[in-house]
Amino acid sequence: MAMSHDNNRPQQYAKSDGCARDGMNKFMLKQSSRTSLAFLAMVVLLLIASGVCARAAVRTSDLWWMPEVASKGGVLIDKLTYFIYYLTGAVFVLTQVVYIYFLVKYRSRKGAKATYSHGNNRLELLWTGIPTAIFIGLWGYSNHLWWDVLHAPTPPDTMEVGVLAYQFGFSFQYPGADGKLGQSDVKLIGNDNLFGNDPNDPATKDNFQSSVLELPINKPVRVRLNSRDVIHAFYVPQFRVYQDIVPGRTIDWVWFTPTRLGSYQLACNQLCGSGHYNMKAQIEVVTQEDFDKWYKEKAAAAVIPAGNAPAQSK
Amino acid sequence: MSQTIAHPEASEVESSHGHHAELSFFRKYIWSEDHKTIAIQYLFTSLFFLLVGGLLAMGVRYQLAFPGAPVPIIGSFLPSWLVTSAGAIQPGGYNALFTMHATVMVFLVIMPLLIGVFGNFLIPLKIGAPDMAFPFFNALSYWLFLLSGIILLSSFFAPTGFPASGWTSYAPLSSHAQYNGTQIGQSCWCVGLFVNGLASIAGAANYITTVINMRAPGMKMFRLPLPIWALLITAFLLLLAVPVLSAAAAMLFCDLNFGTSFFSSSNYGQPLLWQHLFWFFGHPEVYIMIVPAMGLVSEIISVNSRKPIFGYKAMVFAMVAIGVLGFIVWGHHMFVSGMNLLLSATFSFSTMVIAVPSAIKTFNWMGTVWGGSIKYTTAMCFALAFVSMFVIGGLSGIYMAATPVDLFIHHTYFIVAHIHYVLFGGSLFGVFGAIYFWFPKMFGRMMNETWGKIHFALAFIFFNCTFFPMHNLGLNGMMRRIADPTQYEHLRSQQPVNIFITLSAFALGLSTIPFLINFFYSMFKGPKAPINPWKSTTLEWTVPWPTPHGNFEATPTVYHGPYEYSVPGMEEDYLPQNQPAPDTVRLAAH
Repeated sequence: MAMSHDNNRPQQYAKSDGCARDGMNKFMLKQSSRTSLAFLAMVVLLLIASGVCARAAVRTSDLWWMPEVASKGGVLIDKLTYFIYYLTGAVFVLTQVVYIYFLVKYRSRKGAKATYSHGNNRLELLWTGIPTAIFIGLWGYSNHLWWDVLHAPTPPDTMEVGVLAYQFGFSFQYPGADGKLGQSDVKLIGNDNLFGNDPNDPATKDNFQSSVLELPINKPVRVRLNSRDVIHAFYVPQFRVYQDIVPGRTIDWVWFTPTRLGSYQLACNQLCGSGHYNMKAQIEVVTQEDFDKWYKEKAAAAVIPAGNAPAQSK
Repeated sequence: MSQTIAHPEASEVESSHGHHAELSFFRKYIWSEDHKTIAIQYLFTSLFFLLVGGLLAMGVRYQLAFPGAPVPIIGSFLPSWLVTSAGAIQPGGYNALFTMHATVMVFLVIMPLLIGVFGNFLIPLKIGAPDMAFPFFNALSYWLFLLSGIILLSSFFAPTGFPASGWTSYAPLSSHAQYNGTQIGQSCWCVGLFVNGLASIAGAANYITTVINMRAPGMKMFRLPLPIWALLITAFLLLLAVPVLSAAAAMLFCDLNFGTSFFSSSNYGQPLLWQHLFWFFGHPEVYIMIVPAMGLVSEIISVNSRKPIFGYKAMVFAMVAIGVLGFIVWGHHMFVSGMNLLLSATFSFSTMVIAVPSAIKTFNWMGTVWGGSIKYTTAMCFALAFVSMFVIGGLSGIYMAATPVDLFIHHTYFIVAHIHYVLFGGSLFGVFGAIYFWFPKMFGRMMNETWGKIHFALAFIFFNCTFFPMHNLGLNGMMRRIADPTQYEHLRSQQPVNIFITLSAFALGLSTIPFLINFFYSMFKGPKAPINPWKSTTLEWTVPWPTPHGNFEATPTVYHGPYEYSVPGMEEDYLPQNQPAPDTVRLAAH
């Protein structure tokens, strides 16, 4: 294990290590056949071991694996991720074991002559048909989930939050006492109206602004995404949410339900200029009581309606 | 398509030309119209660019492992747009590094290595033609390519330096100087890619005409060696996809310099238009960079297994299918771009379907080694590794094709791992294998096998150490294109992985040294190569070295398909394409 000194959880590297080794045997074949077979056995064992280690890593740690999921949709997405993980893992191990077996068994030897064969149409049909069926099935599963996670009608208690991305930061807008963000239009976005609120819509009057994205636990939230300059992104790995924020458009179909209390970081994940590496905002998932308290204070303090103050980044 | 006969007059003119007039130095080495010389010009130039692109990658990796640390030794010599006064890479400079790393590797390394070098060298030799159909355009294509490289890299000397909007140059970041801060660099990027596109289009038209019209008698389409099929399909992809990029680059140039607003968010412009145009080129481009490697590798595996390729026609149809489907999957780069969700669903479907031909090819490669008598030459090691690495790169692609998973891993290091498994472990390993394999015909000498194996072992090990852990980084949510991962809480625990990857990447960079030494030493001092060192069946191994301008003394006649190895009843285990099968022997195919 060449890498173990670099980290404190060496066994989880077995996956890459095993992979490096299984191919290594391709150039180490000028050995006696017994050595080759022993080597093959070792490769197979390593492959199996790497699978087991990877599985263990999934169960016990989020240090070398996905960050612990913190949203309802994320749980569904993780199920699909694991499904693909086991499927591709099985395909990888199977094909590589067979391939390496062939490579060892059919190495050039004195007197041995290669089989004269141009192929086999039945096999071609088989290995065209099976992958096609698997891929179309996988598409069915994933597409179903795609609509469930993103496009399903949001529950009636969904809170809507406005998000403005700019070089290099985020600003948030809450609906205020009436619980409604009101109408907005990207054409109205400017220094004196960050979120493009429609001044003729009374629902926009009590909106208030925040530099932190404060969210109550277990309550669905829909984000209304706008950008003032270039394309940014709304990326929260723990929520398994990613969406580009395109200037000149309002993207309002992304919603999620946080399920775990704590602090998270909202990151821009679309290259947006020299400050991109540090474009982030704090997300706080709190209990409903804490949220209500925070909300009331903020709403009361918002003497100037949102949009009339300059953007504040944290 | 039936047999086509090489134009007799053309070949006579060419060969008499070659025999009589002694060419001037300028016509022989600078403006040469001989496809073999042009191929070697491409080879030296793109290997130079490979070193440039590799050095840029080292800069990227250094920054990710040691953000904010001054670059040792060279730090104080670097320009101010790249490093701080203390010599550490600045975030904007980091963006420029990865932008140019990808641009150089895609347009100046992988494409010219596969298409410029092996397309030029192999097409006429393998189909029995005296040269390309349009030798003048062929020479022009090389010089335009070199010019594009100079334009792209020249912005290093501009006060604001290299472009820094990523190789995808998403507008409006790329189209507005006030957002990207690199007007000169970004303009050079547009012009460079435009010129590069001209070179590609000239080359593609040339390849298609040559393969369709100039095949030797008896060289039916289904007797073409697989690299030629691969290059023909690639040429069609180039011809249909590259003009779209050229047009988009011209529009971007106008937005940037003349105040038009094709891609701007105001004045009725549309930022997503750039992405659609770019990826309409960009996805066929992915196949442009892998299909030729598939062809080269297929041949190396067949020759070194001493076996006919398994499922020749299936291989051809799979490549055709990849070429056709490659034009309707571009939207899978845009699942989370703000594109209509229904469109994402359809692009997800076509993306799942395009995985099928890749699977077919993999199974056929396994079928080819099955029952073979495998010779482990360096070329074969790289070709066999190509298959495994391509399997990993293909399987990791399925994660992104599933739209909900893409919501999580889009633009993370998972995709960085994926593309490097396909482009480095795939295309570049294929190129290395092909260089070791065709070197004897290019330079008349053999490369050293021991040093070749050392190169392979180091490249293989450190390639995997560098890129495999990137899958884990991606699953951990490490964003692509951030200059400093320690800015984020969920990434701080990953820093040891980043350091490990960087050290492996340095070792991977150093593994090129045995290759370069072997390459240049063998060119002058290597043992003289026999005319057919690998006992191969295709036509390029029937011509002597140095191959005269005009290639064949007499136009060869082709009697059967390209991969007749280990034919039962024959003493030799290979039957060259220009030799008819003895009466006692029955061939199993065409």
